[in-house]
Amino acid sequence: MTEIPSLQVLLQLTVNGILGGAMYGVAAVGLSLIFGTMRLIFLAQGAMIILAAYFVRALFQGLGIDPFLSLPIVITVGAGVGWLIYQGLFRRAAAMEDRNVSLLIAVGLMFLVQNLMTVIWGGNTAGVVTSYTASGIGAFGIRMSFTRSIGFLIAIAGTALVMLFLKKTLVGKAVRAASEDMTSAALLGISPHRVNAIAFSIGLALAGAAGVAVATTFPFNPFAGFVFSLKALVALAIGGIGNVAGALAGGIILGLIEAYVQYFISGGWTNAFGYGVFLLVLMLKPEGLFSRPYKKA
Amino acid sequence: MSSKAGALIAAALVLALALLPFVPGAIDHYYFSLLFFVFIYAIMAQGWNLVAGYAGQISLGQHAFFALGAYTTAILWTGNYLWGSLYETHPRIYYFDPVTMVLSGLVAAVAAALIGLPLLSKLRGDYFALGTLGFGEIVRVLLINGGDFTGGAFGLVAPSGTFDTLLPHYWTGLGLTVALAIGIHLLIKSRYGLALIAVRDDEMAASSNGVNVLRTKVLAFAGGAFIAGICGSLYTYYIFHVGPDSVLNLDWMLLPLMMTVVGGTGTVLGPIIGAFVMYVIFDFARIWVPDYHPIIAGLAIILAMLFLPNGLSRLKLGILKPYSR
Repeated sequence: MTEIPSLQVLLQLTVNGILGGAMYGVAAVGLSLIFGTMRLIFLAQGAMIILAAYFVRALFQGLGIDPFLSLPIVITVGAGVGWLIYQGLFRRAAAMEDRNVSLLIAVGLMFLVQNLMTVIWGGNTAGVVTSYTASGIGAFGIRMSFTRSIGFLIAIAGTALVMLFLKKTLVGKAVRAASEDMTSAALLGISPHRVNAIAFSIGLALAGAAGVAVATTFPFNPFAGFVFSLKALVALAIGGIGNVAGALAGGIILGLIEAYVQYFISGGWTNAFGYGVFLLVLMLKPEGLFSRPYKKA
Repeated sequence: MSSKAGALIAAALVLALALLPFVPGAIDHYYFSLLFFVFIYAIMAQGWNLVAGYAGQISLGQHAFFALGAYTTAILWTGNYLWGSLYETHPRIYYFDPVTMVLSGLVAAVAAALIGLPLLSKLRGDYFALGTLGFGEIVRVLLINGGDFTGGAFGLVAPSGTFDTLLPHYWTGLGLTVALAIGIHLLIKSRYGLALIAVRDDEMAASSNGVNVLRTKVLAFAGGAFIAGICGSLYTYYIFHVGPDSVLNLDWMLLPLMMTVVGGTGTVLGPIIGAFVMYVIFDFARIWVPDYHPIIAGLAIILAMLFLPNGLSRLKLGILKPYSR
């Protein structure tokens, strides 16, 4: 921090922050949907993302399917798994007053998935290396990694699709209604179980999309997911719970904070700033940075 | 079974456990250290139970208070901040030193009060849970970046030469477990305990009946942190190496939480029963199927929640009835 950094460095940091943060964002969108309808902090989301990344790797190494081309497969499988997880594990707990039960099932699922991955693929760091992993796009002296850029596009497209779904389709409107007030929604004939299952399906489909992005850009191991869950929670809080576009934006803001703090202060303090902003937002503007103040009737 | 008979059985059990070390060979048996760990987890679970079960505030930061307690003990000991020259003449003075242990609890409690005041006045429910989770991560960064004071990413090593037997650990663990159970049983019968439960069940109604909601919550949060801090101190006397990965491990929050819910949240005996049952399951899984034991841990949580969502202690057993809410 001895001299003022050049514009180029600042731009590079910004690009890195945005590209990295979009990953947190897409995880946060999934969490946001699940939290919206079930009021559940789905701590296993990160583990699910890593599971998807291993799945992508298996498709690539076993069947030779290009990681990005496997996206439709992974998303479909994710949606199916999400539906099954809800029906098998959360259906009963969702109806209970005590929300600890759901939270603990999520924790149990996280343990289970993490350790299943360790047993199946070993605890070492894995990665997917393709012919284009090292290539990048350069413009104005800034370099963007090719895989990260695609990951960013996946995040934007995924969020946009979810928003369209929520705004334009009847089922999506039901999900939104349920996140605002489950009791009233149920009185109007919306089945809580269906809405919850849909939220879970979309949440895990997004975990699949995030898994593709993670597999192609980061080395990962079975336990890397929890940090993802935490950062997605931070992104969620910054963006405002229940606000899909906000969750993505929250992820990008977190990515920017991390990139700047890492450069200007030190790598060891990045998390403190991330979580510090998280606490400040929770206390000063708990509805998120991008929401209009919410008035209770 | 009347509550009197239940109390008698409990007293007999505690007495038997307290006298167990006098059985020849018992100390060296593997089950002896297993019991010590059951006590450690029962204490942690009871701390969480006070905050979540009675005050109704889901804290996901108990591991941070456990770590603060453990670090306080290690820092006071390795830096000799407390006893000065007495330490040279009495090299074991920090080992199971009540002053050090209480101070460790107090550091955690003060931290909880400082963070609890803003968090609890602003945040409710899930937002409070998220906030405590964030607090834990900030404590992690502070401990890792604390330089020589906290030993950085490696942590601190207390003089492990003081260790000779597991006896003091066992008795302290048992004593704390029993004292906490009695203390919380008396607490919930007291004025403050009634206020606590009133806040949990209906904040608005409690407040309109003259309960200071914020003070009640912060006291419970600090109390839970105090318990976790003392437990961290006790654990330091066992593990000696205090580091961010060992004492600030999320397991110290998740496992006690799980044990409490399995045993029965908001009951006095629930955390103890849960700690015993779950720790025994985990430990036996670790011995018999070492490669798969965390999978069994995950499965055990899911199964317990699917089939016993109200906890073991709320099963219809006469002996436990007077303690259920």
